Amino acid sequence: MALRFQNIKKKFGDLTVIRDISLDVGDDDFLVLLGPSGCGKSTLLRMIAGLEEVTSGEIHLNGRQVEHLPPSDRDMAFVFQSYALYPHMTVRRNITFPLIMREHKWWFHIPLVGYLAKRRIEARPDIRELVAITAQTLGLTQVLDKHPRTLSGGQRQRVALGRAMVRQPAAFLMDEPLSNLDAKLRTAMRAEIGRLHHRLGGTFVYVTHDQVEAMTMGTRIALLRGGDIQQFGTPREIYERPANTYVARFIGTPPMNLIEAQFQGNSLRIGDRLLRLPETAPRGDDRKVWLGIRPDAISLTAADAADALPARVTLVEHAGAESLLAFDPGNLRVGHDEDGQSEIMASQSGYSDIAAGDRVGLMLDIAQASYFDIDSGLRID
Amino acid sequence: MNRSWAFHFRILAVLAVLGIAAFPVYWMAVTSMTSSEELFAGSPRLLPDPAQIGTYARALVSTPLLTWLGNSLIIALGTTALSLLLAILPAYALSRMSFRGKLLLALGLFVTQMLPEAMLVVPLYDIFSRFALLDSLTGLILANTAFAVPVVTWILKGAIDGIPTEIEEAARIDGCSRVGIVLTIVLPLIAPTLAAVTVIAFFQGWNEYVFAQTFISDESLKVASVGLASFVGELSTPMDTVTAVGLTYTLPAVVFYLLVQRYIVAGMTSGGVKG
Ligand SMILES: Nc1ncnc2c1ncn2[C@@H]1O[C@H](COP(=O)(O)OP(=O)(O)O)[C@@H](O)[C@H]1O
Ligand SMILES: [Mg+2]
Repeated sequence: MALRFQNIKKKFGDLTVIRDISLDVGDDDFLVLLGPSGCGKSTLLRMIAGLEEVTSGEIHLNGRQVEHLPPSDRDMAFVFQSYALYPHMTVRRNITFPLIMREHKWWFHIPLVGYLAKRRIEARPDIRELVAITAQTLGLTQVLDKHPRTLSGGQRQRVALGRAMVRQPAAFLMDEPLSNLDAKLRTAMRAEIGRLHHRLGGTFVYVTHDQVEAMTMGTRIALLRGGDIQQFGTPREIYERPANTYVARFIGTPPMNLIEAQFQGNSLRIGDRLLRLPETAPRGDDRKVWLGIRPDAISLTAADAADALPARVTLVEHAGAESLLAFDPGNLRVGHDEDGQSEIMASQSGYSDIAAGDRVGLMLDIAQASYFDIDSGLRID
Repeated sequence: MNRSWAFHFRILAVLAVLGIAAFPVYWMAVTSMTSSEELFAGSPRLLPDPAQIGTYARALVSTPLLTWLGNSLIIALGTTALSLLLAILPAYALSRMSFRGKLLLALGLFVTQMLPEAMLVVPLYDIFSRFALLDSLTGLILANTAFAVPVVTWILKGAIDGIPTEIEEAARIDGCSRVGIVLTIVLPLIAPTLAAVTVIAFFQGWNEYVFAQTFISDESLKVASVGLASFVGELSTPMDTVTAVGLTYTLPAVVFYLLVQRYIVAGMTSGGVKG
């Protein structure tokens, strides 16, 4: 119950950006707000921080209602996508800044006096030590007395993290903090932030549009779309039991295949094939559904094998450890998202020697399948 | 080849413009260091005569030059301080806040720029006489500030627009108040622009003539621009003295500019946010 939203709504003028969001995350949870660009992730995060006012609803942090408080009274740290370091201050001062602000008096505004007072706080043993430890953790010890403009992107990112860490806040809020880094550094920093969460504890709220970041870092994911939560759950729940076709298509690379099918007694009809449904699968008399099947739950066999869907290979991509295969769905109807991609995708481990143009049979492991209503797209259990 | 030709041409053009701008100053320098006899001789000197450096000493003694310069300095510094003080918060508000009538206010600032001083001098004289601001340096500072503030405000607003809002938001989260943000984040980041507007406000006060001429009649409150102009038509004052006074009038302004322009360097905000 560390962080709780209750019926949060946000409008910018007539534009509704957050429709009606309620969630609960626990003390040491790493909540990821995931969704495509423009879905309202940043707005939600900024409302938690107090940088944006809520139109209605309540936000509670550790039992304290905070949505009416100014940002500085919420005990949260924020890491911006653009880092937002203070360019005219050294790295040390950037990191110490929140601590200095804690002891700020009005007379710090008097030019020379304030300068000396801040210097004294910065030089105090407890603060020096805290900064030293933080810098050590983040590998910034060598650059403490430099200015941000002389640092690399990765180092600036670490300074921004350091500025958040020294405050030991009740919640860490991060808005796509890794999106400006190159791929390799991003992976490294991903692990770094994960470790940080383990070590410091506390509630983390992390905004990203990158599902890999979400799946690897989050203990809870809220998948947003157009200001609504599509699904809220653990990464595993979201991956294995997507709440609707949107979630199914958003998570996974390549995403889950959606193939039109029909329940028939204890079987499932796909095209002209009839597959036996496992015990755990739902039933429905002649009900049409989307069969959702992950690319790795499709294996290949001979084109004329019984129970296999015949298909023609249109594309083979070798990615080293696995190969991705695309198939022409023929006269099967397949569901797709905005990108309009209408192929069936399968992944195979290792280097596949199948070539484009080959005719193969697709074996679907429907024990791992999901089923969605053909009209509403909602999950059927 | 082509490029280097264009480059040389540009250098020549710059030198020509510089020459045109600098020549009157040079001519003043030469004139101030030419003996009176030679001044009225047929062919003018092209180089200053070092023996005539005494003209400057004579100018200091024979004219109230130091008083004039002192008054000008008070007015220029007063105008600068008051303009900056009055412009910073409005500039911040115009850049960062949204409120009713913002555009009107922003454009209204320009009204003072559209009206020529000469047109305002009579109504201002009337107002100043009621408030006992005639014959006072304070009055002149106020009048000059009124002209400097709109320009300074606009320039500062432009500079503040260039600071990414995230930096201010970060400061808010770190516990900085609005005033704190302006003082510890915004002002340091726009230091180069502050230096530039300091120069602008300073010269507004240093160079101003119409108000100073009209509002001041007390000899001891006369400013340098008026004092210098009062030589015109006075046959008794030798040309070398006038040019010596003129050069001395320019000198503090140049020094001030050189002091400040070191701070007019770009790139202060770089490094804070990733573009
Ligand atoms: N200050 C604002 N004024 C008006 N509209 C805004 C403002 N901030 C964000 N929006 C709109 O709200 C929507 C969600 O924005 P945002 O939360 O930034 O999305 P995300 O971070 O998920 O990409 C977008 O359509 C955006 O245009
Ligand atoms: Mg965003």
